Amino acid sequence: MVRQEALSSGVPAIRYLHGSRTRPGPEDVDSLVEPILKEMTRPLTDEEKQSGRWEPSRPDRLLFEGTLDEAQAFYQQTKYIGLPVNAPISLYTDGYPIIVPTEERVAEMLKGTSHKPDELIVHQSERVLRWGVRMKPGDPVAFQQGVQSSRRTATVEKVAINAVMAGCKPEHLPIILAIAESGCGTGTTNFPSQAVCLSGPIVKQIGLNTGCGHLGPGSPVNGPIGRAFQLMAINLSGAIPGVNRMGCHGSPINNGGTCFGENADGLPPGWLGMNEESGFDKNESVVMVMLNIGGGIVGSQFSPGGYRAFQKSGHGGMARRFDVKGRPGPHNWLEYIVPGLWAAREGAFTFVMVPEMARHLLDYGFKSKDDAYDWLYKQSFITIKDFKGRSWPDYQGTNGWTGIEKTSGRPWRELPDDYMVALVDDPFDSLIIVAGGEEEASVQFGGGRGPVYSIDVWR
Amino acid sequence: MAEKDRVYRCLNPVGIQTPLDTFPLAPRLDSVDGKEIYISVCGEPDITLALEKKLKRDYPNVNWKTKRTYITDPVPLTDEEMKTADGVIQGVAW
Repeated sequence: MVRQEALSSGVPAIRYLHGSRTRPGPEDVDSLVEPILKEMTRPLTDEEKQSGRWEPSRPDRLLFEGTLDEAQAFYQQTKYIGLPVNAPISLYTDGYPIIVPTEERVAEMLKGTSHKPDELIVHQSERVLRWGVRMKPGDPVAFQQGVQSSRRTATVEKVAINAVMAGCKPEHLPIILAIAESGCGTGTTNFPSQAVCLSGPIVKQIGLNTGCGHLGPGSPVNGPIGRAFQLMAINLSGAIPGVNRMGCHGSPINNGGTCFGENADGLPPGWLGMNEESGFDKNESVVMVMLNIGGGIVGSQFSPGGYRAFQKSGHGGMARRFDVKGRPGPHNWLEYIVPGLWAAREGAFTFVMVPEMARHLLDYGFKSKDDAYDWLYKQSFITIKDFKGRSWPDYQGTNGWTGIEKTSGRPWRELPDDYMVALVDDPFDSLIIVAGGEEEASVQFGGGRGPVYSIDVWR
Repeated sequence: MAEKDRVYRCLNPVGIQTPLDTFPLAPRLDSVDGKEIYISVCGEPDITLALEKKLKRDYPNVNWKTKRTYITDPVPLTDEEMKTADGVIQGVAW
Protein backbone atom coordinates (compact mmCIF):
# COMPACT_ATOMS: atom_id res chain seq x y z
CA MET A 1 0.00 0.00 0.00
CA VAL A 2 2.89 2.36 0.79
CA ARG A 3 4.47 1.55 -2.55
CA GLN A 4 1.20 2.11 -4.39
CA GLU A 5 0.62 5.45 -2.71
CA ALA A 6 4.24 6.48 -3.29
CA LEU A 7 4.01 5.65 -6.98
CA SER A 8 0.71 7.50 -7.32
CA SER A 9 2.38 10.51 -5.71
CA GLY A 10 5.26 10.33 -8.22
CA VAL A 11 7.98 9.15 -5.82
CA PRO A 12 8.10 5.38 -6.34
CA ALA A 13 11.51 5.00 -4.71
CA ILE A 14 10.54 6.57 -1.41
CA ARG A 15 12.46 5.32 1.65
CA TYR A 16 10.35 4.15 4.55
CA LEU A 17 10.50 2.15 7.75
CA HIS A 18 7.74 0.32 9.60
CA GLY A 19 6.93 0.96 13.22
CA SER A 20 5.64 -1.80 15.45
CA ARG A 21 1.94 -2.40 16.09
CA THR A 22 2.57 -3.89 19.51
CA ARG A 23 5.71 -2.40 21.05
CA PRO A 24 5.17 0.72 23.19
CA GLY A 25 6.10 3.90 21.31
CA PRO A 26 9.09 4.89 23.48
CA GLU A 27 10.62 1.41 23.01
CA ASP A 28 9.81 1.35 19.33
CA VAL A 29 11.55 4.63 18.55
CA ASP A 30 14.71 3.37 20.23
CA SER A 31 15.20 1.08 17.25
CA LEU A 32 13.86 3.50 14.65
CA VAL A 33 15.61 6.79 15.17
CA GLU A 34 19.08 5.81 14.01
CA PRO A 35 17.83 4.10 10.85
CA ILE A 36 15.68 7.15 10.06
CA LEU A 37 18.63 9.49 10.33
CA LYS A 38 20.78 7.09 8.34
CA GLU A 39 18.26 7.20 5.47
CA MET A 40 18.46 10.99 5.50
CA THR A 41 22.21 10.94 4.99
CA ARG A 42 22.88 7.75 2.98
CA PRO A 43 23.67 8.87 -0.60
CA LEU A 44 20.98 8.35 -3.19
CA THR A 45 21.24 5.39 -5.50
CA ASP A 46 21.00 5.84 -9.27
CA GLU A 47 17.45 4.51 -9.16
CA GLU A 48 16.45 7.04 -6.50
CA LYS A 49 17.82 9.89 -8.59
CA GLN A 50 15.71 9.00 -11.59
CA SER A 51 12.85 11.11 -12.83
CA GLY A 52 10.68 10.70 -15.86
CA ARG A 53 7.35 9.45 -16.98
CA TRP A 54 5.76 6.27 -15.67
CA GLU A 55 3.71 4.93 -18.53
CA PRO A 56 2.07 1.60 -17.80
CA SER A 57 0.93 -0.34 -20.82
CA ARG A 58 -2.75 0.10 -21.53
CA PRO A 59 -4.54 -3.19 -20.84
CA ASP A 60 -5.53 -5.03 -23.98
CA ARG A 61 -9.25 -4.85 -24.74
CA LEU A 62 -9.27 -8.56 -25.46
CA LEU A 63 -8.23 -10.58 -22.43
CA PHE A 64 -8.86 -14.18 -23.46
CA GLU A 65 -9.94 -16.31 -26.41
CA GLY A 66 -11.31 -19.80 -25.88
CA THR A 67 -14.35 -21.85 -25.05
CA LEU A 68 -16.72 -20.76 -22.31
CA ASP A 69 -15.39 -23.45 -19.99
CA GLU A 70 -11.82 -22.31 -20.62
CA ALA A 71 -12.82 -18.69 -20.14
CA GLN A 72 -14.56 -19.44 -16.88
CA ALA A 73 -11.40 -21.08 -15.58
CA PHE A 74 -9.31 -18.17 -16.84
CA TYR A 75 -11.41 -15.51 -15.08
CA GLN A 76 -11.38 -17.60 -11.91
CA GLN A 77 -7.59 -17.60 -11.67
CA THR A 78 -6.04 -16.54 -8.41
CA LYS A 79 -2.84 -15.08 -7.07
CA TYR A 80 -1.36 -16.01 -3.71
CA ILE A 81 -1.26 -13.04 -1.37
CA GLY A 82 1.16 -13.35 1.51
CA LEU A 83 0.84 -11.69 4.88
CA PRO A 84 -1.60 -10.56 6.15
CA VAL A 85 -3.77 -12.84 3.96
CA ASN A 86 -1.80 -16.04 3.31
CA ALA A 87 -4.32 -17.38 0.82
CA PRO A 88 -5.07 -17.27 -2.90
CA ILE A 89 -7.20 -14.31 -3.96
CA SER A 90 -9.11 -14.05 -7.24
CA LEU A 91 -7.59 -11.76 -9.82
CA TYR A 92 -10.73 -10.73 -11.71
CA THR A 93 -13.64 -11.82 -9.54
CA ASP A 94 -15.01 -11.70 -6.02
CA GLY A 95 -14.27 -15.39 -5.70
CA TYR A 96 -17.57 -16.61 -7.14
CA PRO A 97 -17.97 -17.75 -10.75
CA ILE A 98 -18.89 -14.93 -13.12
CA ILE A 99 -20.77 -14.58 -16.37
CA VAL A 100 -17.99 -14.66 -18.95
CA PRO A 101 -17.81 -11.21 -20.62
CA THR A 102 -17.78 -12.24 -24.25
CA GLU A 103 -17.68 -9.54 -26.88
CA GLU A 104 -21.30 -10.33 -27.82
CA ARG A 105 -22.58 -10.13 -24.24
CA VAL A 106 -20.82 -6.82 -23.64
CA ALA A 107 -22.25 -5.42 -26.89
CA GLU A 108 -25.72 -6.45 -25.71
CA MET A 109 -25.10 -4.85 -22.32
CA LEU A 110 -24.05 -1.59 -23.99
CA LYS A 111 -27.54 -1.31 -25.50
CA GLY A 112 -28.63 -0.26 -22.01
CA THR A 113 -27.09 3.21 -22.38
CA SER A 114 -26.83 5.92 -25.00
CA HIS A 115 -23.25 6.61 -23.91
CA LYS A 116 -20.52 5.45 -26.28
CA PRO A 117 -18.34 2.47 -25.26
CA ASP A 118 -15.09 4.46 -25.40
CA GLU A 119 -16.40 7.36 -23.32
CA LEU A 120 -14.40 7.93 -20.19
CA ILE A 121 -16.36 7.76 -16.93
CA VAL A 122 -16.53 11.40 -15.89
CA HIS A 123 -18.26 13.33 -13.14
CA GLN A 124 -21.71 14.41 -14.23
CA SER A 125 -22.12 17.11 -11.59
CA GLU A 126 -20.03 19.30 -9.30
CA ARG A 127 -18.86 17.35 -6.31
CA VAL A 128 -16.44 17.64 -3.42
CA LEU A 129 -14.76 14.31 -2.81
CA ARG A 130 -13.05 12.94 0.23
CA TRP A 131 -9.77 14.79 0.91
CA GLY A 132 -11.59 17.99 -0.16
CA VAL A 133 -10.86 17.46 -3.85
CA ARG A 134 -13.32 19.51 -5.92
CA MET A 135 -14.63 17.98 -9.14
CA LYS A 136 -16.57 19.62 -11.94
CA PRO A 137 -18.67 18.03 -14.68
CA GLY A 138 -16.45 16.35 -17.25
CA ASP A 139 -13.56 15.64 -14.87
CA PRO A 140 -12.49 12.00 -15.12
CA VAL A 141 -13.46 9.82 -12.21
CA ALA A 142 -10.43 8.54 -10.31
CA PHE A 143 -11.08 5.02 -9.13
CA GLN A 144 -10.11 3.72 -5.67
CA GLN A 145 -10.69 7.00 -3.89
CA GLY A 146 -9.74 5.36 -0.64
CA VAL A 147 -6.20 5.89 -1.81
CA GLN A 148 -5.48 9.56 -1.95
CA SER A 149 -3.87 9.87 -5.34
CA SER A 150 -5.38 7.20 -7.54
CA ARG A 151 -4.54 7.38 -11.22
CA ARG A 152 -7.02 4.82 -12.52
CA THR A 153 -9.77 5.60 -15.00
CA ALA A 154 -12.37 3.54 -16.86
CA THR A 155 -14.56 3.70 -19.94
CA VAL A 156 -18.24 2.94 -20.38
CA GLU A 157 -17.25 -0.37 -21.97
CA LYS A 158 -15.13 -1.32 -18.94
CA VAL A 159 -18.14 -0.74 -16.71
CA ALA A 160 -20.32 -2.80 -19.07
CA ILE A 161 -17.81 -5.68 -18.92
CA ASN A 162 -18.03 -5.73 -15.13
CA ALA A 163 -21.82 -5.49 -15.31
CA VAL A 164 -21.90 -8.59 -17.53
CA MET A 165 -19.62 -10.45 -15.13
CA ALA A 166 -21.91 -9.56 -12.21
CA GLY A 167 -24.97 -10.94 -13.98
CA CYS A 168 -26.64 -7.61 -14.69
CA LYS A 169 -29.06 -6.95 -17.54
CA PRO A 170 -28.80 -4.07 -20.03
CA GLU A 171 -31.53 -2.11 -18.21
CA HIS A 172 -29.28 -2.12 -15.13
CA LEU A 173 -26.37 -0.50 -16.95
CA PRO A 174 -27.30 3.15 -16.22
CA ILE A 175 -27.34 2.24 -12.53
CA ILE A 176 -23.94 0.57 -12.77
CA LEU A 177 -22.54 3.59 -14.62
CA ALA A 178 -23.89 5.88 -11.89
CA ILE A 179 -22.27 3.66 -9.27
CA ALA A 180 -19.01 3.81 -11.25
CA GLU A 181 -19.17 7.60 -11.01
CA SER A 182 -18.49 7.13 -7.28
CA GLY A 183 -15.02 5.73 -8.05
CA CYS A 184 -15.93 2.50 -6.22
CA GLY A 185 -13.62 3.20 -3.31
CA THR A 186 -13.35 0.54 -0.67
CA GLY A 187 -11.73 2.46 2.15
CA THR A 188 -8.77 1.02 3.93
CA THR A 189 -9.16 -0.38 7.42
CA ASN A 190 -11.94 0.53 9.79
CA PHE A 191 -14.84 1.29 7.44
CA PRO A 192 -14.79 -1.79 5.31
CA SER A 193 -18.36 -2.11 4.01
CA GLN A 194 -20.05 -0.64 0.98
CA ALA A 195 -23.64 -0.79 -0.23
CA VAL A 196 -25.77 0.98 -2.82
CA CYS A 197 -29.32 2.23 -2.33
CA LEU A 198 -31.71 3.10 -5.17
CA SER A 199 -34.53 5.61 -5.07
CA GLY A 200 -37.01 6.81 -7.68
CA PRO A 201 -38.93 5.22 -10.55
CA ILE A 202 -36.01 2.94 -11.44
CA VAL A 203 -36.88 0.79 -8.42
CA LYS A 204 -40.10 -0.44 -9.99
CA GLN A 205 -38.82 -0.29 -13.57
CA ILE A 206 -36.21 -2.95 -12.93
CA GLY A 207 -38.14 -5.00 -10.36
CA LEU A 208 -35.83 -4.31 -7.43
CA ASN A 209 -36.92 -6.15 -4.31
CA THR A 210 -37.76 -3.58 -1.65
CA GLY A 211 -39.96 -6.00 0.27
CA CYS A 212 -39.40 -9.04 2.41
CA GLY A 213 -35.82 -10.27 2.30
CA HIS A 214 -34.60 -7.30 0.29
CA LEU A 215 -31.17 -7.40 1.95
CA GLY A 216 -30.85 -11.12 1.46
CA PRO A 217 -30.49 -13.53 -1.45
CA GLY A 218 -33.03 -14.35 -4.13
CA SER A 219 -33.50 -11.27 -6.28
CA PRO A 220 -31.95 -11.38 -9.77
CA VAL A 221 -31.80 -7.57 -9.58
CA ASN A 222 -30.56 -6.59 -6.10
CA GLY A 223 -27.83 -9.22 -6.10
CA PRO A 224 -26.17 -8.49 -9.46
CA ILE A 225 -26.28 -4.71 -8.96
CA GLY A 226 -24.67 -4.99 -5.54
CA ARG A 227 -22.14 -7.41 -6.96
CA ALA A 228 -21.28 -5.04 -9.81
CA PHE A 229 -20.01 -2.52 -7.25
CA GLN A 230 -17.66 -5.09 -5.79
CA LEU A 231 -16.40 -6.29 -9.18
CA MET A 232 -15.72 -2.70 -10.20
CA ALA A 233 -13.90 -2.14 -6.91
CA ILE A 234 -11.72 -5.13 -7.76
CA ASN A 235 -11.20 -4.60 -11.49
CA LEU A 236 -11.47 -0.86 -11.99
CA SER A 237 -10.16 0.32 -8.64
CA GLY A 238 -7.68 -2.49 -8.08
CA ALA A 239 -8.85 -3.40 -4.58
CA ILE A 240 -6.96 -6.43 -3.27
CA PRO A 241 -7.36 -7.80 0.27
CA GLY A 242 -4.16 -7.46 2.24
CA VAL A 243 -2.56 -5.20 -0.36
CA ASN A 244 -4.69 -2.06 -0.42
CA ARG A 245 -8.01 -3.26 0.98
CA MET A 246 -7.03 -3.64 4.57
CA GLY A 247 -10.26 -4.22 6.50
CA CYS A 248 -8.84 -6.93 8.72
CA HIS A 249 -12.09 -8.92 8.89
CA GLY A 250 -13.56 -7.87 5.56
CA SER A 251 -17.33 -7.64 5.59
CA PRO A 252 -20.23 -9.93 4.70
CA ILE A 253 -21.99 -6.86 3.30
CA ASN A 254 -19.39 -6.89 0.53
CA ASN A 255 -19.54 -10.64 0.04
CA GLY A 256 -21.54 -10.79 -3.16
CA GLY A 257 -22.37 -7.10 -2.78
CA THR A 258 -25.36 -5.29 -1.32
CA CYS A 259 -27.98 -3.31 -3.20
CA PHE A 260 -31.28 -2.27 -1.71
CA GLY A 261 -33.83 0.40 -2.48
CA GLU A 262 -36.60 2.54 -1.18
CA ASN A 263 -40.23 1.47 -1.26
CA ALA A 264 -41.69 4.82 -2.30
CA ASP A 265 -45.24 3.53 -1.85
CA GLY A 266 -44.41 2.72 1.76
CA LEU A 267 -43.37 6.24 2.68
CA PRO A 268 -45.78 7.87 5.13
CA PRO A 269 -47.59 10.95 3.80
CA GLY A 270 -45.26 13.96 3.90
CA TRP A 271 -42.06 11.92 4.09
CA LEU A 272 -39.74 12.52 1.14
CA GLY A 273 -38.00 9.81 -0.80
CA MET A 274 -34.23 9.62 -0.65
CA ASN A 275 -34.07 11.13 -4.15
CA GLU A 276 -36.00 14.25 -3.08
CA GLU A 277 -34.11 14.47 0.21
CA SER A 278 -30.92 14.55 -1.86
CA GLY A 279 -32.05 17.49 -4.01
CA PHE A 280 -33.45 15.52 -6.93
CA ASP A 281 -36.98 15.45 -8.31
CA LYS A 282 -39.45 12.80 -7.21
CA ASN A 283 -39.38 11.39 -10.75
CA GLU A 284 -35.60 11.20 -10.94
CA SER A 285 -33.84 7.95 -10.30
CA VAL A 286 -30.74 8.03 -8.14
CA VAL A 287 -28.29 5.77 -6.40
CA MET A 288 -26.65 6.48 -3.07
CA VAL A 289 -23.23 4.87 -2.83
CA MET A 290 -22.53 4.19 0.82
CA LEU A 291 -18.76 3.86 0.90
CA ASN A 292 -18.12 4.07 4.60
CA ILE A 293 -20.35 1.68 6.47
CA GLY A 294 -18.63 1.08 9.76
CA GLY A 295 -19.95 -1.45 12.20
CA GLY A 296 -21.96 -3.45 9.69
CA ILE A 297 -25.63 -4.16 10.28
CA VAL A 298 -27.36 -4.12 13.64
CA GLY A 299 -30.53 -6.20 13.46
CA SER A 300 -33.81 -5.69 15.26
CA GLN A 301 -33.54 -5.32 18.99
CA PHE A 302 -37.12 -6.28 19.80
CA SER A 303 -39.48 -9.09 18.92
CA PRO A 304 -42.09 -8.21 16.30
CA GLY A 305 -44.80 -9.55 18.61
CA GLY A 306 -43.53 -7.43 21.48
CA TYR A 307 -43.47 -4.42 19.19
CA ARG A 308 -47.08 -5.02 18.13
CA ALA A 309 -48.21 -5.33 21.74
CA PHE A 310 -46.42 -2.07 22.51
CA GLN A 311 -48.09 -0.16 19.67
CA LYS A 312 -51.52 -1.80 19.65
CA SER A 313 -52.38 -1.85 23.32
CA GLY A 314 -49.44 -0.70 25.39
CA HIS A 315 -48.53 -4.15 26.67
CA GLY A 316 -45.28 -6.00 27.12
CA GLY A 317 -41.70 -5.10 27.94
CA MET A 318 -41.42 -2.12 25.65
CA ALA A 319 -44.49 -0.54 27.24
CA ARG A 320 -43.10 -1.24 30.71
CA ARG A 321 -39.78 0.35 29.81
CA PHE A 322 -41.44 3.58 28.72
CA ASP A 323 -44.14 3.53 31.40
CA VAL A 324 -47.00 3.52 28.89
CA LYS A 325 -48.59 0.29 30.09
CA GLY A 326 -52.18 0.06 28.91
CA ARG A 327 -51.84 3.06 26.62
CA PRO A 328 -52.08 2.18 22.91
CA GLY A 329 -49.65 3.80 20.47
CA PRO A 330 -48.44 5.50 18.48
CA HIS A 331 -45.23 5.33 20.48
CA ASN A 332 -41.77 6.38 19.37
CA TRP A 333 -40.11 3.00 18.99
CA LEU A 334 -36.75 4.64 18.17
CA GLU A 335 -36.44 5.31 21.89
CA TYR A 336 -36.01 1.58 22.40
CA ILE A 337 -32.94 1.29 20.19
CA VAL A 338 -31.25 4.61 20.95
CA PRO A 339 -29.40 3.49 24.11
CA GLY A 340 -27.52 0.84 22.13
CA LEU A 341 -26.89 2.88 19.01
CA TRP A 342 -23.81 4.74 20.14
CA ALA A 343 -22.62 2.27 22.74
CA ALA A 344 -19.34 1.58 20.97
CA ARG A 345 -19.11 3.98 18.04
CA GLU A 346 -19.97 7.51 17.10
CA GLY A 347 -21.56 8.92 13.97
CA ALA A 348 -24.76 8.65 12.03
CA PHE A 349 -26.76 5.52 11.22
CA THR A 350 -28.91 4.41 8.33
CA PHE A 351 -32.28 3.11 9.56
CA VAL A 352 -34.00 0.67 7.24
CA MET A 353 -37.56 0.27 8.53
CA VAL A 354 -40.73 -1.36 7.28
CA PRO A 355 -43.61 0.90 6.15
CA GLU A 356 -45.74 0.15 9.22
CA MET A 357 -43.03 1.33 11.58
CA ALA A 358 -42.41 4.48 9.54
CA ARG A 359 -46.14 5.17 9.75
CA HIS A 360 -45.99 4.83 13.53
CA LEU A 361 -43.28 7.47 13.63
CA LEU A 362 -45.44 9.79 11.53
CA ASP A 363 -48.43 9.21 13.80
CA TYR A 364 -46.24 9.78 16.84
CA GLY A 365 -45.42 13.25 15.53
CA PHE A 366 -42.53 13.08 13.11
CA LYS A 367 -44.21 14.81 10.19
CA SER A 368 -41.12 14.40 8.02
CA LYS A 369 -37.93 12.40 7.99
CA ASP A 370 -36.19 15.60 9.06
CA ASP A 371 -38.22 15.62 12.29
CA ALA A 372 -36.91 12.14 13.04
CA TYR A 373 -33.34 13.15 12.11
CA ASP A 374 -33.54 16.13 14.47
CA TRP A 375 -34.83 13.93 17.27
CA LEU A 376 -32.08 11.36 16.73
CA TYR A 377 -29.45 14.10 16.68
CA LYS A 378 -30.68 15.42 20.03
CA GLN A 379 -30.52 11.92 21.53
CA SER A 380 -26.86 11.65 20.56
CA PHE A 381 -25.65 14.25 23.06
CA ILE A 382 -23.41 13.08 25.89
CA THR A 383 -21.18 14.86 28.39
CA ILE A 384 -17.60 15.74 27.60
CA LYS A 385 -16.62 13.45 30.45
CA ASP A 386 -18.21 10.48 28.69
CA PHE A 387 -17.00 11.66 25.30
CA LYS A 388 -13.42 11.55 26.56
CA GLY A 389 -13.85 7.88 27.36
CA ARG A 390 -14.30 7.02 23.69
CA SER A 391 -11.65 5.98 21.18
CA TRP A 392 -12.17 7.80 17.87
CA PRO A 393 -12.49 11.29 19.37
CA ASP A 394 -8.80 11.11 20.31
CA TYR A 395 -8.16 11.54 16.59
CA GLN A 396 -11.19 12.51 14.57
CA GLY A 397 -13.23 15.60 15.27
CA THR A 398 -11.05 16.92 18.10
CA ASN A 399 -7.60 16.65 16.47
CA GLY A 400 -6.16 15.12 19.61
CA TRP A 401 -8.23 17.50 21.77
CA THR A 402 -6.19 20.40 20.38
CA GLY A 403 -9.01 21.69 18.15
CA ILE A 404 -12.10 23.83 18.65
CA GLU A 405 -15.47 22.34 19.61
CA LYS A 406 -17.86 23.64 16.98
CA THR A 407 -21.04 24.27 18.98
CA SER A 408 -19.28 26.35 21.64
CA GLY A 409 -16.46 27.78 19.54
CA ARG A 410 -14.15 27.01 22.45
CA PRO A 411 -11.06 24.78 22.66
CA TRP A 412 -11.97 21.22 23.60
CA ARG A 413 -9.57 21.27 26.52
CA GLU A 414 -11.33 24.25 28.12
CA LEU A 415 -14.81 22.74 28.18
CA PRO A 416 -16.19 21.55 31.54
CA ASP A 417 -16.89 17.86 32.04
CA ASP A 418 -20.65 18.40 32.01
CA TYR A 419 -20.71 20.20 28.64
CA MET A 420 -22.87 18.27 26.17
CA VAL A 421 -21.59 17.29 22.73
CA ALA A 422 -23.26 15.37 19.90
CA LEU A 423 -22.06 11.99 18.66
CA VAL A 424 -23.47 12.83 15.21
CA ASP A 425 -21.98 15.73 13.26
CA ASP A 426 -25.19 16.89 11.65
CA PRO A 427 -28.84 15.81 11.93
CA PHE A 428 -28.98 15.25 8.17
CA ASP A 429 -26.13 12.73 8.35
CA SER A 430 -28.71 10.17 9.47
CA LEU A 431 -30.72 8.36 6.84
CA ILE A 432 -34.08 6.62 6.86
CA ILE A 433 -34.98 4.18 4.12
CA VAL A 434 -38.44 2.62 4.10
CA ALA A 435 -38.24 -0.95 2.85
CA GLY A 436 -38.70 -4.53 3.98
CA GLY A 437 -41.59 -6.91 4.51
CA GLU A 438 -44.59 -6.80 6.80
CA GLU A 439 -43.07 -7.98 10.03
CA GLU A 440 -42.18 -5.21 12.45
CA ALA A 441 -38.41 -4.95 12.18
CA SER A 442 -35.77 -2.33 11.62
CA VAL A 443 -32.09 -2.71 10.88
CA GLN A 444 -29.39 -0.11 11.24
CA PHE A 445 -26.25 0.31 9.21
CA GLY A 446 -23.42 1.97 11.06
CA GLY A 447 -22.67 4.97 8.85
CA GLY A 448 -25.16 7.39 7.40
CA ARG A 449 -25.63 9.14 4.13
CA GLY A 450 -23.28 8.62 1.17
CA PRO A 451 -22.93 10.59 -2.06
CA VAL A 452 -25.91 10.38 -4.43
CA TYR A 453 -25.63 10.03 -8.22
CA SER A 454 -28.19 10.52 -10.95
CA ILE A 455 -29.00 7.35 -12.84
CA ASP A 456 -30.95 9.19 -15.51
CA VAL A 457 -27.88 11.00 -16.88
CA TRP A 458 -26.40 7.59 -17.67
CA ARG A 459 -29.40 6.24 -19.58
CA MET B 1 -18.65 -27.45 -34.32
CA ALA B 2 -20.36 -28.24 -31.04
CA GLU B 3 -21.41 -25.23 -28.95
CA LYS B 4 -19.07 -26.28 -26.17
CA ASP B 5 -16.14 -26.04 -28.59
CA ARG B 6 -17.02 -22.58 -29.87
CA VAL B 7 -14.28 -20.03 -29.28
CA TYR B 8 -15.29 -16.69 -27.78
CA ARG B 9 -13.46 -13.41 -27.57
CA CYS B 10 -13.61 -12.29 -23.93
CA LEU B 11 -13.01 -8.72 -22.80
CA ASN B 12 -10.80 -7.20 -20.15
CA PRO B 13 -12.54 -5.81 -17.04
CA VAL B 14 -9.43 -4.14 -15.62
CA GLY B 15 -9.29 -0.35 -15.27
CA ILE B 16 -6.84 1.91 -17.06
CA GLN B 17 -3.82 3.13 -15.14
CA THR B 18 -2.95 6.63 -16.35
CA PRO B 19 0.68 7.75 -16.86
CA LEU B 20 2.29 10.04 -14.33
CA ASP B 21 5.46 12.05 -13.81
CA THR B 22 7.94 10.66 -11.34
CA PHE B 23 10.48 12.59 -9.32
CA PRO B 24 13.83 11.79 -7.73
CA LEU B 25 14.11 11.67 -3.98
CA ALA B 26 15.27 14.89 -2.34
CA PRO B 27 19.08 15.18 -2.11
CA ARG B 28 20.49 13.55 1.02
CA LEU B 29 22.23 15.57 3.68
CA ASP B 30 25.97 15.19 4.34
CA SER B 31 25.17 15.57 8.04
CA VAL B 32 22.10 16.50 10.05
CA ASP B 33 24.04 18.86 12.34
CA GLY B 34 22.86 22.44 12.09
CA LYS B 35 20.13 21.54 9.62
CA GLU B 36 16.47 22.52 9.79
CA ILE B 37 14.47 19.27 9.74
CA TYR B 38 10.72 18.98 10.01
CA ILE B 39 9.06 16.17 11.94
CA SER B 40 5.69 15.93 10.20
CA VAL B 41 3.49 13.46 12.03
CA CYS B 42 -0.16 12.44 11.99
CA GLY B 43 -2.30 9.95 13.85
CA GLU B 44 -1.39 7.97 16.94
CA PRO B 45 0.64 9.97 19.46
CA ASP B 46 1.92 6.87 21.28
CA ILE B 47 4.78 6.66 18.81
CA THR B 48 4.85 10.13 17.28
CA LEU B 49 5.35 11.95 20.59
CA ALA B 50 8.09 9.51 21.58
CA LEU B 51 9.73 9.94 18.18
CA GLU B 52 9.80 13.71 18.47
CA LYS B 53 11.15 13.54 22.03
CA LYS B 54 13.93 11.12 21.16
CA LEU B 55 15.00 12.96 18.03
CA LYS B 56 15.30 16.20 19.98
CA ARG B 57 17.16 14.52 22.81
CA ASP B 58 19.60 12.47 20.70
CA TYR B 59 20.25 15.12 18.05
CA PRO B 60 20.32 18.46 19.88
CA ASN B 61 22.34 20.12 17.11
CA VAL B 62 19.44 19.82 14.67
CA ASN B 63 16.97 22.68 14.39
CA TRP B 64 13.87 20.50 14.75
CA LYS B 65 10.49 21.85 13.68
CA THR B 66 7.23 19.93 14.19
CA LYS B 67 4.09 19.73 12.10
CA ARG B 68 1.58 17.72 14.08
CA THR B 69 -1.96 16.56 13.56
CA TYR B 70 -3.91 13.72 15.13
CA ILE B 71 -6.09 13.02 12.10
CA THR B 72 -5.31 10.92 9.04
CA ASP B 73 -3.66 13.42 6.73
CA PRO B 74 -0.34 15.07 7.50
CA VAL B 75 -0.16 18.86 7.47
CA PRO B 76 1.83 19.90 4.40
CA LEU B 77 4.74 22.31 4.73
CA THR B 78 3.94 25.83 3.51
CA ASP B 79 5.88 27.40 0.65
CA GLU B 80 7.70 29.56 3.19
CA GLU B 81 8.67 26.54 5.27
CA MET B 82 9.87 24.71 2.17
CA LYS B 83 12.31 27.54 1.43
CA THR B 84 14.31 26.91 4.59
CA ALA B 85 13.68 23.21 5.28
CA ASP B 86 16.68 20.92 4.75
CA GLY B 87 14.69 17.75 5.30
CA VAL B 88 11.41 16.21 6.40
CA ILE B 89 10.67 13.07 8.39
CA GLN B 90 7.10 12.10 7.63
CA GLY B 91 5.46 9.92 10.26
CA VAL B 92 2.11 8.33 9.52
CA ALA B 93 0.79 6.32 12.45
CA TRP B 94 -2.70 5.15 11.63
